[in-house]
Amino acid sequence: MGKVNKSILIIEDEAAMLKALASKFKNENFTVFTSGDGEEGLALALKEHPHIILLDIIMPKIDGITVMKKIREQKRWGKEVPIIMLTNLSDPESVSEAANYGVYDFLVKTDWRLDDVVKLIKEKLSLD
Amino acid sequence: MKILVKLSDKILLIFIFFASILVVAVTLFFGGSLIQIIVFSGFIYIVSFLITFVISRNFSRKIMRLSFKVEEMAAGNLSKKLEVNSKDEIGQLTNSLNELISRLQTGVAVDVSKHWELDKAKTDFVALASHQLRTPLSIIKWYVDFLIAGDAGELGSEQINYLKEVYRSNERLIELVNALLDVSRIDVGTFSIDPEPTDIIERAEAAIKKFALEIKTKEITLVKHYDELPTLKLDPRLTKMVFANIISNSVKYTSVGGKIKIEIKKTEPNVLIKISDTGCGIPREVQPKIFTKLFRALNAKKIESIGTGLGLYIVKAIIEKSGGRIWFESPSLDLLLEAGQKNSDIPIDKRNQGTTFFITMPLQGMKKRIGTKNLSS
Repeated sequence: MGKVNKSILIIEDEAAMLKALASKFKNENFTVFTSGDGEEGLALALKEHPHIILLDIIMPKIDGITVMKKIREQKRWGKEVPIIMLTNLSDPESVSEAANYGVYDFLVKTDWRLDDVVKLIKEKLSLD
Repeated sequence: MKILVKLSDKILLIFIFFASILVVAVTLFFGGSLIQIIVFSGFIYIVSFLITFVISRNFSRKIMRLSFKVEEMAAGNLSKKLEVNSKDEIGQLTNSLNELISRLQTGVAVDVSKHWELDKAKTDFVALASHQLRTPLSIIKWYVDFLIAGDAGELGSEQINYLKEVYRSNERLIELVNALLDVSRIDVGTFSIDPEPTDIIERAEAAIKKFALEIKTKEITLVKHYDELPTLKLDPRLTKMVFANIISNSVKYTSVGGKIKIEIKKTEPNVLIKISDTGCGIPREVQPKIFTKLFRALNAKKIESIGTGLGLYIVKAIIEKSGGRIWFESPSLDLLLEAGQKNSDIPIDKRNQGTTFFITMPLQGMKKRIGTKNLSS
């Protein structure tokens, strides 16, 4: 496996999911930052400026949509960083709200295998 | 029944009373000067005007007071009864309102807010379930996938086979949760239909692809007839869901070596979708129940014990809410004619009857429907 040399921030409050995602992306040689809540995740995003962000919606402290909004309020990096929503909500309200903030993709967890999530992210970052 | 003194009558009586005084006065003063007559009758007119004015102002005040009370009631304050202090129409109206208040209090009248609360509770349940049930299901999905892929160390082939069973069951649970969520969204009426230019044939093919492996394994002959069609305004996710549901049934209930035919035809002003199979068919006695929620025919259960009985209910709701029609025919006439020869030595009750599902959708597309929830794909 070659060196990917890209960083990903995963913000997800469900520990088991966070662990699965983190280890998957570590195996793929990503630099992985993780956070279990919106507030800490936002701080981490602003500090580390990852190449891509994987974001849940329902989370303690700050929800994913708000995190996304705050990131988009930042200059340059914040406006351009691809954000992928990985959630179990699928209501049009959340989808359209996320779309307003320029979400790259909106994935329903139960519909996606981890391998396919990795594939999608690599595609976005023009890897492979 | 009390005799009501009508307010308008009171006013009229007062007028008549003063008018008669006026007449008497005029007669008495006939010999008097013109100025005296004018002054006196002018005085009488002014007095009667003032009295009428006071009465009607009193009347408006009562109405205003009552209307404030009614507004209070509308805002939900049903604790106070209204004071009745006259025997006229206002008094009667007040009595009727008091009657209404006591009915509302005892719950005879329908409390609309209760219905609203119930709907909200149902919608909240759907949101809760979608999050709370899907979370552990996705964790199982991902971890089992990990194990199968050997990410946690190499496993023996038997272990992998067991895990594949776990994975398959979990997928079934995900499907069931999605179907249940879809049904609640249909029942609560919160699901949305978002038509956009869609290639219906591509949608059919995407649905067929889901069953490619099973069709191959069961050596089912798949025949397709597609008319040339322009892009139609359809909800792409719902269209695929409809195809996938019907085709899934066909594949499930058609035995090895059977046949499935998928046709998409232009029959102005509609597009007609026809999906036929040589499967077990739908027994006549259960045909009226086939679109009912949770219903599964006995012969279907024998072939496939697993099934939610929700698929056709969901499909019918999607089709009808978007302006189309769905019906079926079992035995399936055209496929039966083709397959009839081959089965002639099999007793009639043992023969596969086959089913054809017909769906029409206007060529102008699906009706848009604004909702707060999507049906799951």
